[in-house]
Amino acid sequence: MAVSASPDQSNVGRSMKVTVERAALLKSLGHVHRVVERRNTIPILSNVLLRAEAGELRLKATDLDLEVTETQAADVERTGATTVPAHVLYDIVRKLADGAQVSLETIGETGQMQIRSGRSRFNLQTLPQEDFPDIAAGELPHSFSLPAQDLKKLIDKTQFAISTEETRYYLNGIYFHTIDSDGRQVLRAVATDGHRLARVETAAPQGAGGMPGVIVPRKAVAEIQKLLDGADADVTVELSPAKIRLTVGSVVLTSKLIDGTFPDYQRVIPAGNDKTLVVERDMFAQAVDRVSTISSERGRAVKLALADGKLTLSVTNPDSGSATEEIEVDYEASPLDVGFNARYLLDITGQLDGDTALFKLADPGSPTLIQDREGAPALYVLMPMRV
Amino acid sequence: MAPSPVRRLDPVLVDRIAAGEVIERPAAAVKELVENAIDAGAGAIEVVIEAGGRRLIRVTDDGRGMTPQDLELAVERHATSKLPDGDLFAIGTLGFRGEALPSIGAVARLSIVTRTADAAQAAAILVDGGAKGPVRPAAGARGTRVEIADLFGATPARLKFLKSDRAEALAVADIVRRLALAHPAIRFTLAGDTISTIDLPAEGSDEAAALRRAARIVGADFVDDALPIDVMREGVRVHGFAGLPTAHRGSASHVHWMVNGRPVRDKLLSGAVRGAYADVLPADRHPILVMSVDCDPREVDVNVHPAKSEVRFRDPGLVRGLVVSALRAAIAAAGHRATAQGGRDALQTLAGRQPQSFVQRTFVGWQAPVDTGGTAASGDAHGSPLPGFAEAQTPFRSQDEQISSAFLPAADARAHADDAPALDAPLGAARAQIHANYIVAQTRDGLVIVDQHAAHERIVYERLKAERAARGIARQILLIPEVVDLDPADADRLLAAAGLLEAAGLVVEGFGPGAVAVREVPAALAGGDIKGLLRDALDALLDERDAPVEARLDRVLSSIACHGSIRSGRRLKPEEMNALLRQMEITPSAGQCNHGRPTYVELKLSDIEKLFGRR
Ligand SMILES: Nc1ncnc2c1ncn2[C@@H]1O[C@H](COP(=O)(O)OP(=O)(O)OP(=O)(O)O)[C@@H](O)[C@H]1O
Ligand SMILES: [Mg+2]
Repeated sequence: MAVSASPDQSNVGRSMKVTVERAALLKSLGHVHRVVERRNTIPILSNVLLRAEAGELRLKATDLDLEVTETQAADVERTGATTVPAHVLYDIVRKLADGAQVSLETIGETGQMQIRSGRSRFNLQTLPQEDFPDIAAGELPHSFSLPAQDLKKLIDKTQFAISTEETRYYLNGIYFHTIDSDGRQVLRAVATDGHRLARVETAAPQGAGGMPGVIVPRKAVAEIQKLLDGADADVTVELSPAKIRLTVGSVVLTSKLIDGTFPDYQRVIPAGNDKTLVVERDMFAQAVDRVSTISSERGRAVKLALADGKLTLSVTNPDSGSATEEIEVDYEASPLDVGFNARYLLDITGQLDGDTALFKLADPGSPTLIQDREGAPALYVLMPMRV
Repeated sequence: MAPSPVRRLDPVLVDRIAAGEVIERPAAAVKELVENAIDAGAGAIEVVIEAGGRRLIRVTDDGRGMTPQDLELAVERHATSKLPDGDLFAIGTLGFRGEALPSIGAVARLSIVTRTADAAQAAAILVDGGAKGPVRPAAGARGTRVEIADLFGATPARLKFLKSDRAEALAVADIVRRLALAHPAIRFTLAGDTISTIDLPAEGSDEAAALRRAARIVGADFVDDALPIDVMREGVRVHGFAGLPTAHRGSASHVHWMVNGRPVRDKLLSGAVRGAYADVLPADRHPILVMSVDCDPREVDVNVHPAKSEVRFRDPGLVRGLVVSALRAAIAAAGHRATAQGGRDALQTLAGRQPQSFVQRTFVGWQAPVDTGGTAASGDAHGSPLPGFAEAQTPFRSQDEQISSAFLPAADARAHADDAPALDAPLGAARAQIHANYIVAQTRDGLVIVDQHAAHERIVYERLKAERAARGIARQILLIPEVVDLDPADADRLLAAAGLLEAAGLVVEGFGPGAVAVREVPAALAGGDIKGLLRDALDALLDERDAPVEARLDRVLSSIACHGSIRSGRRLKPEEMNALLRQMEITPSAGQCNHGRPTYVELKLSDIEKLFGRR
């Protein structure tokens, strides 16, 4: 690998002059500035890299784990690059008049960059562009494309189950991999926090076949989610075992991956649960929500008592009292009492799309499967509580 | 009742009474035998116990052994080879009284097989309940094998004071580990029917060897957290390894001291440790430490306690001063090193120096609530240099606005029109978080400052207690059980207390030697760091090992509540801050944390006005 592999740090001077549309600049800054942490011990990480070359202005921000660049058309008078505080630039551009032209120009040897628009003028302190870190270098041998909304669905429906606990760091992201499922290749997203698990799949895109299984960290997941919001074209995904790069239109996001082994999740997905319960999804979620009003703290249990076509939900809180509600359901197996964390039940039912939800249970101490219906692309596993 | 006449005690009885002072439980017998093996110059010592040592204790060494004549004498009271000039003030060995073997012989069946290097065959002897048999020739390797069977078989009263086999075995393991810490050049093994096997290879006799041995005993992390210490003054050498203050534990059981190769629990030394760490450790926390004092035997009296676990220094001031100053210096140097490395290096390489402006200096450390999605933010929470924005010339904005744009996130807790109800609540409406640990809230007539960690800890503890009183602590079953690697003895300890832990909401089971699988956790703490939780529970168990079950359970609950609570340094969102305030208001005794410190302070507006001389 060449040392100066970065396209952003090749030979351009520190001096630059460029004029862009205010609206386009604001949109680009909107994408990249979110990556910048509010508080940084390393000053240059608070900055955004601006690079003017060949009719384009490229913006780039990084937190060393994640990097976002966006390229936009620009009127380049002097090619060059510099870095300025991202949040300040964003706030300035936000307050400029709609439809205005903005010129960005480094001034002499002062080490400042001047922003001009209409009658406003701002001089911002810069830091040298050569010092701007670059994490994007390196080969990404695997590559495939898929519709933005397909990828978004994989993320949206699993993201809630990502663990926030940092000692099991390999659970702090979504695990993407391809696998043969009933004779067809699928691309799967899996997330778990050790209490519940979400597994969502879609037909594997061309070229995804040989990809390594990768764990995409939580912060990158959140950024990708925002980028994909409203995108309707295809997304290109490039991968190595250490990095992922996504190209969505003019935005390129590169993130380090979590260096760890995702647990063998297949083993915790039960196959023999034979007590099936079908509920009206909304009615069920509302009932859970109502009875758990009694105790809103985290980790409170709602007890489900199942018997012949009837489900009784109840919550008891030693401090404040108790609540019960009964709903009609499809249930024909032998009676069963089982407790779940109310929050988890709501999280999962909130991810389902159908009018009804299918539960497959075994006993009060074993994992329960929850799906829209048999064979649905999204599958959730929830571990009960003992109360 | 007529008074009984005064009689001379039967000598066997005298021996049994005396024995009780030296040998009060199996671990004490193991200690004596292992010390003898160490004194005999052994390179490897093997200990086997059955039924916690009650049925059998066997200690085998490859040391110098005894001649038949010595063997005959060795089991006699006050027979020792170790005080050749009869100078009690110059004890260089672990044994010196010549009391251990006869004491054991008085309360058990003692058999010894021993052979010196140049003897053609081994010699054996049996002492049963004080009655000494003849020395006979026997088959045996070089070294000594001592077997104690049926300990306290002749003194049932003493037997009654013993704990379960498992508890006794754990005490044996503890003694073996402590002696092993002091003698890294010797290989130690311990096997028993109720505990995991301990096997500590011979490491050598330099400081690196000592650290390897220490890591096997106090945990592998210690290698990274240990500060080497080696100082000498007036013939007293203090050396070993002190843990970084950041690696603190909930119990003092990880503080190990050796004096001239003898593990001790000494008040002077533990006091010195407490003193040295006082400013850098939270109250109730203890460092991990493995250190030795070596000096001329004449400088220290080891004959002050029947089990020799306390010592008296001739010049206590010298030793204490030496220990405290050595520890303080090491801690200070480590602290300096840490700060030097954190941010500053990186900062200079990446960006050169940034002049600090007025705004920066004034507001470093002030931290508004930041929308980090509720997770601990990365990076240093205190006083990190801020970005260079303050230098920017932005003529249309006041400095105030600059600050807010840089520090205040979208979800800002500054006054809003709609928080009137919160203002009326006893603890008011959250306004900001400072130093990532204190919530500042405004009430109708004043100001409240809350210590977030202390407050949350209290809330969790009270909830656990309430659940336990009602129907037992609700537990979340884990979909993926978490396997936690521990020291084998710690794993045994946890498993021995499995019933108690279950009552505290933690369900654990064995997972091979030195590991436990956590299957269920208290729902109130679900989602937290399980390994840390287990460690704290373990420390609590250790601290309260002799307390009644209820007290132990309380202690475990309090320590896991502490662990599972919002940490100091964690940035909170405004909603989180307000939720915490509301929970405090409905929690009994929320005004104090589990350690009795206040969780919040309130300043009335009138007090504030007084401060400014307005009244
Ligand atoms: N494992 C052994 N190898 C060689 N000699 C031994 C061994 N165990 C005991 N002896 C001999 O037996 C003697 C008596 O041992 P004992 O433990 O009773 O007394 P001690 O070690 O001298 O003093 P203390 O009562 O303080 O332990 C010792 O002085 C030593 O000479
Ligand atoms: Mg002895």
